[in-house]
Amino acid sequence: MKKIQLLFICLFSITFSSCEKDDICEATTPTTPKLVIEFYDILNPTVKKNVTNLAVKELNTATSISFTGSSKIQIPLRTSQDLTKYSFILNSTDATLDNEDFLQFNYTRQNLFVSRACGFKTNFILNSTTPIIKTETLIPDGYWIQNVVIANSNITTENETHVKIYF
Amino acid sequence: MKHMSKFTFSILLILTSLLVIGQTNKTDSIPPKIEKYGVRFGADISKLIQSFYDKKYKGIEFVGDYRVTKNYYLAGELGNENTTVEDNRLTFTTQGTYLKVGFDYNSYENWLDMRNMLYIGMRYGASTFSQTLNSYNIYNTSNYFPEAPTVFLGEKYNGLTSQWIEIVLGLKAEVLNNIYLGFSVRMNRLLTNTKPDNFDNLYIPGFNRTYNGDFGIGFNYSISYFLPLYKTKATQKKDQKKKK
Repeated sequence: MKKIQLLFICLFSITFSSCEKDDICEATTPTTPKLVIEFYDILNPTVKKNVTNLAVKELNTATSISFTGSSKIQIPLRTSQDLTKYSFILNSTDATLDNEDFLQFNYTRQNLFVSRACGFKTNFILNSTTPIIKTETLIPDGYWIQNVVIANSNITTENETHVKIYF
Repeated sequence: MKHMSKFTFSILLILTSLLVIGQTNKTDSIPPKIEKYGVRFGADISKLIQSFYDKKYKGIEFVGDYRVTKNYYLAGELGNENTTVEDNRLTFTTQGTYLKVGFDYNSYENWLDMRNMLYIGMRYGASTFSQTLNSYNIYNTSNYFPEAPTVFLGEKYNGLTSQWIEIVLGLKAEVLNNIYLGFSVRMNRLLTNTKPDNFDNLYIPGFNRTYNGDFGIGFNYSISYFLPLYKTKATQKKDQKKKK
């Protein structure tokens, strides 16, 4: 009888210790993906090109995100509305060389259950007809963004490129 | 509250383990015992008490067992729960009814005419329930935008079912004549679980909170009444056999 009791205690402790911690949303859990943009050389479209002092700012947000020396950037999309409009300023630190273009991303959203700790995430699908609208500043300074190509309209993971920008 | 219950649970777990270890079959010359057989029925008091002080919880559980042999009891629970869980990222309401059937094995050798139990047992549990996803937040690793407003949904998923097995570790003490107080801890493992589309069964009536895996933990504090139906005299020979 004592053996059985011990067995049960062991069983009990093993099962108890195997309970996973699920109060914290771990960083490795895929949640709402960011939009992944890759920059390419317009003169040599297969070659990636690094951006210099690129300031990316959503129109209704005060702060901007800066990128320099990289050809791949990740920017968040709004999860509470079906469009996000960003200003892309190349050479933002130089008052004479700087050039601002606007890109408006149009999409539909899908809220998916992740887990108790993480709640839900939003996946985006770029519109098939007008996924991206490129516009200029009020005082035109010419486009620095030459071409925008959709690489993947389903934004579900950050492991792949969704939009390619040629400049 | 969450930490508090975890703490209480751990303490109880340790105490229960100690109690189980502490039991060795040391029986000296005992006069023939009179064993009472019958049915015991009662209710879970923790669920009743929680229903009073917790506005988000309403639950009731009836417990019962029938003594089949000296140490084996046919046991079961029947209950209903309606609980609203407010987690950091989401809130939901679970409503449903459950039934558990199985057996308890009393490993406690009682002195004289005491009729206490320290038992291990198993249950098969089944529940039919609904989940209502009240609201949720979108998790975003980027904090560039202020957190998106909470989505209020109120979507109800009906006709969900789950089945599971439980390993029960418990004790019952006769506090007054034929009145018992009981406590049990249960380790649950899901067998089947129908999940709602785009959501999960984070709480299952009878099973309790679910974790990422199939495991769960439950407990109950019961008060019950034993209705004796017939009596037997335990023979001396039987007792001597036990001693070896």
